[in-house]
Amino acid sequence: MDFDTYELDPSVYDEMLLPDGTPRDHCRTLYDALCRMSSEELSGVQERATRSFSHEGISFTVYGEAEAQERIIPIDCLPRLLSGADWRLIESGLTQRLTALNRFLEDVYNKARIVADGVIPADVIRSCPQYRIEMRGFSPPHGVWVAICGTDIVRTNDGFHVLEDNLRVPSGVSYMIANRKVIKSGLRRIYRGARVREVEHYGRLLQTTLRELAPAGRPDPCIALLTPGVYNAAFYEHMFLAGEIGAELVEGRDLVVNDGVVYMRTTTGLRRVDVIYRRIDDDFLDPLVFRPDSLLGVPGLLHACKRGSVSLVNAPGTGVADDKSVYAYVPDMIRYYLGEEPILANVETHLCRRPESLEYTLDNLERLVVKRVGESGGYGMLVGPHATPAERAAYAEELRANPADFIAQPTLALSRAPCLIDGRLEPRHVDLRPFVLNGRQTRVVPGAFCRVALRRGSLVVNSSQGGGGKDLWVLNN
Amino acid sequence: MLVRSAQGLYWMSRYLERARRLCRLLQLQTESLVDRPIREIHFGWSRIYASVNRHPPAGRIELLGSDDYTLADSYTLAGDLTFERSNPDSVWSCFDQGRENARQIRQSISTPMWTQLNLAYLRLQELEMQDIWAISPEGFYAETVAQIDTFVGVAAATMYRGEGWRFMELGRFVERAQLLAALLLAQLDAEQHVEEASDADWAGLLRLCHAFEVYNRRYSVVVQPRQVLDLLVTDPRLPDSLGRSIDRATQEIEAIGPGPDPRSSGALQRLAGRIGGVIHYQWPDDDDCQGLLEQVRTHCYELHDRVTAAYFDYAIEDAPMS
Repeated sequence: MDFDTYELDPSVYDEMLLPDGTPRDHCRTLYDALCRMSSEELSGVQERATRSFSHEGISFTVYGEAEAQERIIPIDCLPRLLSGADWRLIESGLTQRLTALNRFLEDVYNKARIVADGVIPADVIRSCPQYRIEMRGFSPPHGVWVAICGTDIVRTNDGFHVLEDNLRVPSGVSYMIANRKVIKSGLRRIYRGARVREVEHYGRLLQTTLRELAPAGRPDPCIALLTPGVYNAAFYEHMFLAGEIGAELVEGRDLVVNDGVVYMRTTTGLRRVDVIYRRIDDDFLDPLVFRPDSLLGVPGLLHACKRGSVSLVNAPGTGVADDKSVYAYVPDMIRYYLGEEPILANVETHLCRRPESLEYTLDNLERLVVKRVGESGGYGMLVGPHATPAERAAYAEELRANPADFIAQPTLALSRAPCLIDGRLEPRHVDLRPFVLNGRQTRVVPGAFCRVALRRGSLVVNSSQGGGGKDLWVLNN
Repeated sequence: MLVRSAQGLYWMSRYLERARRLCRLLQLQTESLVDRPIREIHFGWSRIYASVNRHPPAGRIELLGSDDYTLADSYTLAGDLTFERSNPDSVWSCFDQGRENARQIRQSISTPMWTQLNLAYLRLQELEMQDIWAISPEGFYAETVAQIDTFVGVAAATMYRGEGWRFMELGRFVERAQLLAALLLAQLDAEQHVEEASDADWAGLLRLCHAFEVYNRRYSVVVQPRQVLDLLVTDPRLPDSLGRSIDRATQEIEAIGPGPDPRSSGALQRLAGRIGGVIHYQWPDDDDCQGLLEQVRTHCYELHDRVTAAYFDYAIEDAPMS
């Protein structure tokens, strides 16, 4: 393979190469190894990786077409490398961020000092649909509202930025492990020489975290993973994680609440459940409290959680902290609760609820990315520079009608990494989603689900929108 | 074990057993297309359709004297039983359902089991009737049977012998017993509707159950219907026999132990014992084969209902809590 035709753009950070086309220090070994490999060899690795996903049924479900379809997340066989120094920065930044976010959640559902002190306007919280008034006065074990988070981070020429904190039911960690497994075996010799930090112990750390969050007086807790079921896009992950942590994989219909205690239906009777790692959104958790039409949830579950007989992980109501408007205030939260400067930067965010921001957004639509506050997964988003004038006009209309539903951010020049496209090396935009666990202490696995926008020039990395995955190697240097 | 997991394993196993039996039937049937008389081919199709309790696409099977018609009809019938999505008992549907059940409880089976089943499923997704018909339909069915057998073997080699294993085994033998009882009745029934019964039809039944060689050794090369029935119904050493299927199901029920409701569990154990009693004690001296088989078949269907009542569908209010 050679990098002769590989396009470098000085305005975009390249993960492997310096602007002069030579490899970055930590990428030199991989670069040299790639140069020694033929295009056929590398394509073989790619093919085997894809085939192994298909054979093992590592798939997700796509909706919106005639029927739900099982799909494989395309994997690019070239790993993205992260130096030890970069990782240390990310790790400390994420730990700091999650600590502040947990303090915020405990505060906002109890005394709400941060609002009283004027750091966050009350109406930002009040208008957030993910703020759950039912959770007021609640305090989870050890004050841990968010035990599992998957933060989206991007890199530009100005360094790392947090794009989104996913504090509800973040997914993708199984792909971090699956990608590692196939790429490690495809590039075995390179891997051995590269001194890559392991990620496969994630399940152990997750189990430890969940056990630490069990209700008091339950020293040997029974853990269950609550899934919406086989038709959920992330079902493979639910199944995989349940196996990794030795939990029963349950659906709502497997659980019953009796006298404020949660049980699962087994072939010998009812068995008490102590910790539920729930992969169902708040809305569907408990039809008695949230959406009454939910068939996925368990009547009485929230009551059991609030009286402390079962721990729901993450706790209900955490969505208020990863709301796209509240996001803008996270740096202030870090300063307010921890008295520290944020280690990882936010992306500059304009809340369209403010008249001056709305005006700015409307005037600069062709340069901005505009997102709906309540949406995720890349849905309902306008990428200004890539939209047609008609699309922008239609979007502007909606913006004017409900400004509070939108935020705007500058179009970031996301970094690019080399990918194998049709047998050639070409740069594609990437981000990364590391996973942070928080029980009695914070644990971060040195790795991430690295998403890549496989369409040429595209900035959208979401799996549901044509994105793929890459293995990410954190180097031990 | 979680009720839903136990149910998933039970049904996965049942669907795969159903697919296996149907593939075996179709394997022998498509083999017979090469050299058997049209009467025998016709008999074979009638027996298959009767045993799966389904009407052929045209409503009934026409017996026309021409080879061309018979082959064209056979293509349609085999397609209906193999790839027809709207036929819930077609090979394709059984695999689809079996794999779907496995996918839902994938954490309860071993990885090699899942991979084997998934590969077999993916292979079926890529094939169509015309592909298999053009080369060797019997080869396709034999290979599909081999893939299910491999799955069963991989399970035996890798799966933890906990409750999950037992529900899987229970499902397989309940299904096997139901299918064989239905098939034997279909044989007796079809025989009454043809002009002359043929030894070959009974020999085919022996081959289907891998019992042909055993029969020849034990009895003679002359096929006697009553002796065929005796072997297929009572022999505890024949893996496909009705008696062994019921014995194995009974063993698994005992090993799983009582469910949450003692009354349902007791009823299940008694029923399993009763079917065993009919096969092992009543059958040998009784001449009314058809009557006894009908009784066994009804009991075998009931066995499934009792399993469901004892372990899956119990009332939550009365269930013990731990």
